[in-house]
Amino acid sequence: MRFQYGMPHYLIILSTSLPYNMVATSDKKQDKELLNQLQTILLKDDRATIERLQATIDDPVLLSEKVSPIIEDRMAFFKEQFPVEFRVTVDKLIERKLKASQAEILDVIYPVMGKMIKKYVNHQIQIVKDSIDERVKDTFSSRGLFWRLKNSIFGISASDQIIHEMRDYKIEEIYIIQRDSGLLFGSASTENTIDQDVIAGMLTAIKSFVEDAFKREREDLEMIQYGTYKILLQNFYTYYIAIAISGSMSSTEREELGNELLTFADDNLKTLPAEPDEPSFKAVSAKLKEEFIK
Amino acid sequence: MLSRKVILTGSFGVGKTSLFRRFINNTFSEKYITTIGVKVDKKVVEVRGQEVSILLWDIAGEVKQDKVPKSYFLGASAIVYVFDLTRPSTYRNISVDMDILKDILPDAIIKIVGNKADLIANESAIEKIKEELKVRVDVITSAKNGDNVEDLFLDLAGDFLE
Ligand SMILES: Nc1nc2c(ncn2[C@@H]2O[C@H](COP(=O)(O)OP(=O)(O)O)[C@@H](O)[C@H]2O)c(=O)[nH]1
Ligand SMILES: [Mg+2]
Repeated sequence: MRFQYGMPHYLIILSTSLPYNMVATSDKKQDKELLNQLQTILLKDDRATIERLQATIDDPVLLSEKVSPIIEDRMAFFKEQFPVEFRVTVDKLIERKLKASQAEILDVIYPVMGKMIKKYVNHQIQIVKDSIDERVKDTFSSRGLFWRLKNSIFGISASDQIIHEMRDYKIEEIYIIQRDSGLLFGSASTENTIDQDVIAGMLTAIKSFVEDAFKREREDLEMIQYGTYKILLQNFYTYYIAIAISGSMSSTEREELGNELLTFADDNLKTLPAEPDEPSFKAVSAKLKEEFIK
Repeated sequence: MLSRKVILTGSFGVGKTSLFRRFINNTFSEKYITTIGVKVDKKVVEVRGQEVSILLWDIAGEVKQDKVPKSYFLGASAIVYVFDLTRPSTYRNISVDMDILKDILPDAIIKIVGNKADLIANESAIEKIKEELKVRVDVITSAKNGDNVEDLFLDLAGDFLE
């Protein structure tokens, strides 16, 4: 509060410290009037200021004009200072969080990482393939006639022919298996296989056995083959997926199926419970059936 | 239904495979077939009105537990450590083996089982062996006549439900 120049201080002290019961009733009204006047004189400037402030606060546009620069300033300062002041704390926090939920985080990251790596590798392979195609075209252009002739005899293009031959595999069974225990997170199959959890356990045992017996640096068993059946194994962090396939399958198809699995894992398996339970088993199994066993 | 992985381990010839077959199929054979690799089978047991599915792993025996591939143990909720009551060499180093197993699976339930009780003439001989050991023996079984085999796994299932 500011005081009007020349206004003596004691006036205020007098008027405020004088108890009402010491003043005659008839003077009371007069006193009040006096006090009001005094306030008006004393607070004139402040009143104006308050009114201006009120107006500014009430008007969003005016308010933001005033406040925005300050906030921006603070934000800039914050941005600059945050790493300095809080880095250690944040680092520690993230580290702790990562340690606590390593498995969950890795299960979330695995499919995404898998996809990214695959994409990159595919891209590199495509580049190599393109350059080979280019060279083949140059070198064997005289052979073109032979190929075209051959295709016209069969009535289809060679590549169509190859693709057709390859496309006769069938997914018979699919399992999502907890990595170490071999317990089932979910499964689906064309026929009613009875002891799916025994199969899952046995697959895990075989996997452990093979991976241990032929130990090489961080290599996983990727396929088991018997007769016309193939079991493809794709590893994730806390679980792996096993698919039993009949018929023949090209490497391109294998690749495609691998991608499908990554997508499936990304969409459906990020929230698997730590230990397999019945509700999630049912949900995962239904999804598997819908996606892979038609 | 609750599912749990249980692994049988211990020296060779102590009766792991026999206990496995007794529990799963209720059969027994005098013939000794060395286990190669692993065998897994399942049995559903009921305790206190609740079903528990036990996925039992039978592995090849090793004289010392650090020779068993670690990956076999991982993910197991319980380890059944079997020794042969008639062969001191199968229980002499039991406490060393316990340390190894606790190191691999700190949270697992470990049951120490003395098997082939049918070959021991009297109760006092069994008590003497138990006293000799530095660790407590959980149960004395016979895979041959089936004594305590079912109970051993029912006990485990009960522990899983806790
Ligand atoms: N008398 C008797 N023999 C047993 C018992 N358990 C296993 N055996 C025998 O001991 C031998 C080894 O058993 P096995 O189960 O193969 O041992 P493993 O190597 O630990 O799997 C076999 O000849 C079995 O018949 C038992 O409780 N009593
Ligand atoms: Mg055996």
